[in-house]
Amino acid sequence: MKAIIETSGLVMQFPNTRALDGLDIRIPPGVTGLVGANGAGKTTLISLTLGLLKPTSGSIKVLGLDPNVHGPALRAQIGYGPERNVLPDDLRAYDFVRHLAEVKGLPRDEARTRASDSLYLVGLGEERFRSLGTMSTGQRQRVKLAQAIAADPRFIVLDEPTDGLDPVQRDEMLNIIVQVNRDFGIDVMLSSHVLEEVERVCDHVVALDQGRLVAHGAMSELAGASGGVELELVDVDEPPHSVDAVVQLLQASGTTVERSGAVLSVTGKSDDELFDAVGAAVAQAGARLRRLGQRRRTLDDIFTDQDRQMTDAQ
Amino acid sequence: MTKAAASSRGDAQISARGFQRYEGERAGVAGSIRSVMWQSMRATLGLGRPAKNKIFPVIAVAIAYVPAIVFIGLAVLIPSGIVDGPSYPEYYGFVTSAIALFAALVAPEVLVSDRRNGMLAMYLSTPLHRGTYLVAKMLAVLLTLGLVTLGPPFLVLLGYTFDGSGPDGFGNWLIVLFRIILSGAAVSAALTAISMAASSITDRRAFASIGVVLLILASPIVAGSLVDGAQLSPNWRLIDVFSMPFELVFRIFGEPGNFPEVSTLAVIAVNAAWTFGGLTVVVWRYSRLVIAR
Repeated sequence: MKAIIETSGLVMQFPNTRALDGLDIRIPPGVTGLVGANGAGKTTLISLTLGLLKPTSGSIKVLGLDPNVHGPALRAQIGYGPERNVLPDDLRAYDFVRHLAEVKGLPRDEARTRASDSLYLVGLGEERFRSLGTMSTGQRQRVKLAQAIAADPRFIVLDEPTDGLDPVQRDEMLNIIVQVNRDFGIDVMLSSHVLEEVERVCDHVVALDQGRLVAHGAMSELAGASGGVELELVDVDEPPHSVDAVVQLLQASGTTVERSGAVLSVTGKSDDELFDAVGAAVAQAGARLRRLGQRRRTLDDIFTDQDRQMTDAQ
Repeated sequence: MTKAAASSRGDAQISARGFQRYEGERAGVAGSIRSVMWQSMRATLGLGRPAKNKIFPVIAVAIAYVPAIVFIGLAVLIPSGIVDGPSYPEYYGFVTSAIALFAALVAPEVLVSDRRNGMLAMYLSTPLHRGTYLVAKMLAVLLTLGLVTLGPPFLVLLGYTFDGSGPDGFGNWLIVLFRIILSGAAVSAALTAISMAASSITDRRAFASIGVVLLILASPIVAGSLVDGAQLSPNWRLIDVFSMPFELVFRIFGEPGNFPEVSTLAVIAVNAAWTFGGLTVVVWRYSRLVIAR
């Protein structure tokens, strides 16, 4: 399967910062999440993908092309939704999307039609003739997505597409992004520092930390069921110290317990044996159980493990 | 209701194709430049924007065209030979305020706005790069200025032609037309470069406009002070940024101009220098610009 983005030893050095440090990644088609804290190198990688920066060393290929050699041809095939929410206030959403579709090469009539179509797709069909300055943050984020897809790109890059949105709006935006990929075959790379939303919608993930690659691969391999059982107890007054009692009973049964408040991660045996051990310990301690399920490795775990490895190395 | 009308209403369908893939032709970089150029011109002239955005463009165009329209009217209504109108270079003296107004307003609107409202980052994520983006913007400023540097003298030519005092013969008429085009292009090019340079230095439209106006007002005063006041060489006139393009117009029409003591070669050279120097400033500034995303 041809990669959307391939990098080899990619380095981007600014005067005071090494934004990317020897990145080797291969992003396949689908929805890919680019995660990391602020300053991790996400926006730098996006700029390199679009050919807006020249790497200090190493190489990058996007859709099989070198962005620095074939920048204009490549950017005609890529849609981009920037992080910044600064848009021309006096321009109508329809005119904004139409104009950028024309700039990306669509004939005028086609750009007009597709501007409306894409604004309808993102749920702004009835508001498409409103000025951008009168729109809410959520609506402006949708307009950015609409202009990214209006020219029918092969691949879209969205920089923090859910920034500034409330939880309901985030869900709606993520659903639209997934629909763009599933229904229309447009590959997506979205950057985010919210790990949960990347876990929810992305097929693949690239995790960065201070310019270095922390992890990359299929979401199903990196996150998901990782062996073990996780339970959340309710810390009640009666019986007292019930959570402590459950921990001691589980440890006595030969399992390994990691505790974070009332949340316990139990490993050391097969899942079936762990479920039995947990059930017995909770019943014996008279504790109250809020949640019980297979232990899942999350993206947060990946970063936590990375931090631990770096600390151990020092 | 007739049977035909009833069946046509029954056959009517609402067709909403929805978002689809596009397999047709794409225009390429030339189309991108054309689209940005046209959008910039529309924005500057207030087209597709509220009425308040049209005030200054309308005023400037009116100042530039009213004298020419009056000349044509007089030429049509009054017997020939009675109206003694200005020469083509002299006509620019009637419309310098309109040209100055446009020069002060167009480039800041075209360049500064994009840096402030996020459009520059959007444009650079399209097939355009900084160079082709600036080409599009330069063409927008040039053609918008051409409205007031080319159109009015052309109307004057038409007026003189109707009046019977125009050029003798079609060949001479074409020569005059060519000189008008060359003059308008020279004035537009120089003022485009200067106003774009001012607009690339600051992120405030008002400051860019003020900078252009100051250059337009102050440079003639300084040049005059140096030559007429301090009795320095007449070549100090060449620092008069605003007058030199119009002096070039006189030389294109073979007239001595307002400053005959300055050689034609020097006038041509300084106009070229202002034009290329201004564009160099623009290119240098934009090559160093950090685009916020």
